[in-house]
Amino acid sequence: MAEVWITGIGLVTALGCDRETTWSRLLRGESGVAALRLFDTAGYRTHLAAQVDDSCLALPSIAAAALRHASRTSRLGIAAAAEALADARLAGEATVHRPWAVVFGGGSAGLFEAESFLRRRLAGGPRTRALEEFLEVPQDASTDRVAEAFTLAGPRVTVTTACSSSTVAVGLAAEMVAGGEVDVALAGGADGLCRLTFAGFNSLRAVDPHPAKPFDRRRKGLNLGEGAAVLILERAERALARGARPYARVLGYGVTADAFHMTQPDASGAAWERTIRAALADAGLTPEDVDYINAHGTATEQNDPAEAAAYRRVFGERLAGVPVSSVKGALGHCLCGAGGIEAAITALAVARGMAPPTAGFAEPDPACPVDPVPGVGRPWPIRVALSASFAFGGNSAALVLGKVT
Amino acid sequence: MFICAAGAVTAAGTGIPALASALAQPDWQPTLGLERPDGPPLPVAVCRDFSTQGVLPPMVARRLDRPARLLAVAAREALGAVGASLPWPRDEVGVTAGTGNAGTEALVEVLKAVFLASPEEAPPMQFPSTVANAPASQLAILEKFGGPNLTFAEKQAGGLRAMVEAGRLLRRQRAAAVLACGVDEAQWLNAEAYHRLRFTRRSASGPGAILGEGAVVLLLSLSPGDAPLARLAGWGAAASPTATHLYPSSGDSLVRAIMLALEHAGATAGDIDLLLSLYSGAPRPARLEAEALAATLGRQRPAVLAITDRLGEGAFSSALRALVAVLALGGTPIAWPAPPHLAALGFPDLSRPPRTALVTALAGGGSAVAAVLTAP
Repeated sequence: MAEVWITGIGLVTALGCDRETTWSRLLRGESGVAALRLFDTAGYRTHLAAQVDDSCLALPSIAAAALRHASRTSRLGIAAAAEALADARLAGEATVHRPWAVVFGGGSAGLFEAESFLRRRLAGGPRTRALEEFLEVPQDASTDRVAEAFTLAGPRVTVTTACSSSTVAVGLAAEMVAGGEVDVALAGGADGLCRLTFAGFNSLRAVDPHPAKPFDRRRKGLNLGEGAAVLILERAERALARGARPYARVLGYGVTADAFHMTQPDASGAAWERTIRAALADAGLTPEDVDYINAHGTATEQNDPAEAAAYRRVFGERLAGVPVSSVKGALGHCLCGAGGIEAAITALAVARGMAPPTAGFAEPDPACPVDPVPGVGRPWPIRVALSASFAFGGNSAALVLGKVT
Repeated sequence: MFICAAGAVTAAGTGIPALASALAQPDWQPTLGLERPDGPPLPVAVCRDFSTQGVLPPMVARRLDRPARLLAVAAREALGAVGASLPWPRDEVGVTAGTGNAGTEALVEVLKAVFLASPEEAPPMQFPSTVANAPASQLAILEKFGGPNLTFAEKQAGGLRAMVEAGRLLRRQRAAAVLACGVDEAQWLNAEAYHRLRFTRRSASGPGAILGEGAVVLLLSLSPGDAPLARLAGWGAAASPTATHLYPSSGDSLVRAIMLALEHAGATAGDIDLLLSLYSGAPRPARLEAEALAATLGRQRPAVLAITDRLGEGAFSSALRALVAVLALGGTPIAWPAPPHLAALGFPDLSRPPRTALVTALAGGGSAVAAVLTAP
């Protein structure tokens, strides 16, 4: 299989409308978690989320026709794709039916907009209004929207494995590129906030009413977030030939099922150990090769110790010397977009030799014996990094990224 | 790459024998009609007599929502055909699923609580079923399958995408066997949306699709096993940029998907002796299909079989077309005719067992997937 490079990154998060703003604020230890403004949270148990600023969704460079009735989630995806294509210096090329793949993690899609329709309809209201409110209910709608906005004609794949969706999407896209199925892939995902997920995670008592504290002794749960990431993947020789500037290599990925429980992790870490080992095996590497781990790190009571246990099983005593940080304290849990965002952050970490911090972490928990990089980003030479995602249904995935040498 | 076993729950009944029985009757038609609170029933072919009795213990069935139950029952049929003990370690058995609407009913129940009672009334037991990967995940939990577990959304092409991705997982040796699945539930809000988009038929004899409900499982492995049903010889996919709820203006993406699938299979248009038409009753995709076949098959006129206009459209239906292709390749007698738009172009009905079948799907938004299946 050919070597695959990440040659462009687009990021839209609660910390910023673009990659560099997100990265710099993340490294400073800032958090995008604040009072949720997207809808009225009266009656909900919690009121915080990592919401993207509406100014990020304006998209003046995109044709109005491609944005007509576009959902919030699709706008996030289009914004990230526009930045990624420009970053890879492919924006001009991408406009005429290129057979490039769009491989996205799909989640809420246009559900936020559809909720207005559903609220009326479920209350017995009319069925004959506002067609556009439910056009983007299908979870592949944002994938379609991104392809439409940039007139891309290659295969489209929408992975819906909950919180690991866009991690799988990046791995799958890399495989499509490496195997020669496509020359270029736009990989990642987008997910927007909506009432369903806000109420649902609250009903599971998985949300911290205060800012989340991954791996911290005082953690009480996650904060939901929204955002998008798009990574441009292409074969190394193609990238080299056109003088592209790589961030990192995609060395491999692993994907497994816990086969354990719909929402609970296997506390022993054994199930997630298999995922990580599968990813390392796919990359042809060993645990000794890994210099940094971008954790799933949701800050729920159950996830973080189970995740730490998995790392302990894989990395043993060496884990003490490997930074393990979670960006969810800063960016919230962006669900189906989370894995793509974290892959993008991991690629930046590899390229720039910086381990990002875990916002919210202050007090170590003996149940989570990892080094979560408290405070601010840490200069750290990274040759190989792991980005892990563990989802509802036990759908687990991990990516291995490496430095381009 | 072999299809070693299969299972299905469709509007024709539970199990492949029920499906085969319907396929043998030229005039078989489903009983249509999905009730909604305040309007006439919607044109959906529902799995009316579906039950988990005798297949899943009641305590297990109770914790699954309808799509997960449909899928679990179809999977049990496929697994039962392989034998009491699987020839692969369960940690190396994966699941790929395509779905268009799994989780909708659970979503409606959670939002009903949020909107009509209070956000605090959102039912925690149902929330996990709102995610589309719930049926495939529940299947893995039920059967202790630790291999990759991936769900795909690609509207009408979702089921075929699941089969393609099962092939990819096997090719990369990420699993020893994969259950490639399609699953959809009949849910009135979902069906009403398609009705409002004028995709579904407005009268019994008028144009338009019917929607379907069901689950299909095709068990794929690199090893043929004792009695393989068919081979997955190749696949291809492409897309035409278009609005997410519309079909594209041309059949270009379908043409490219078919050409890629033939190339991947090492086949030519002349090798195809059965085409599973994507005809659902909706005129637009039928026109695009005819256009694509003219571009890819030229003057070749393989036998054509349409099933989606009777068993219903959805993500699961493209997997169901693959299953019916597998049955035909195995010699199952099928008496259903070619669809009218292709019969008019000279495509004949299926009259003898084929050797090589082409299965296609075209989704709203322009995504197209094609696969070539051959007799084992």
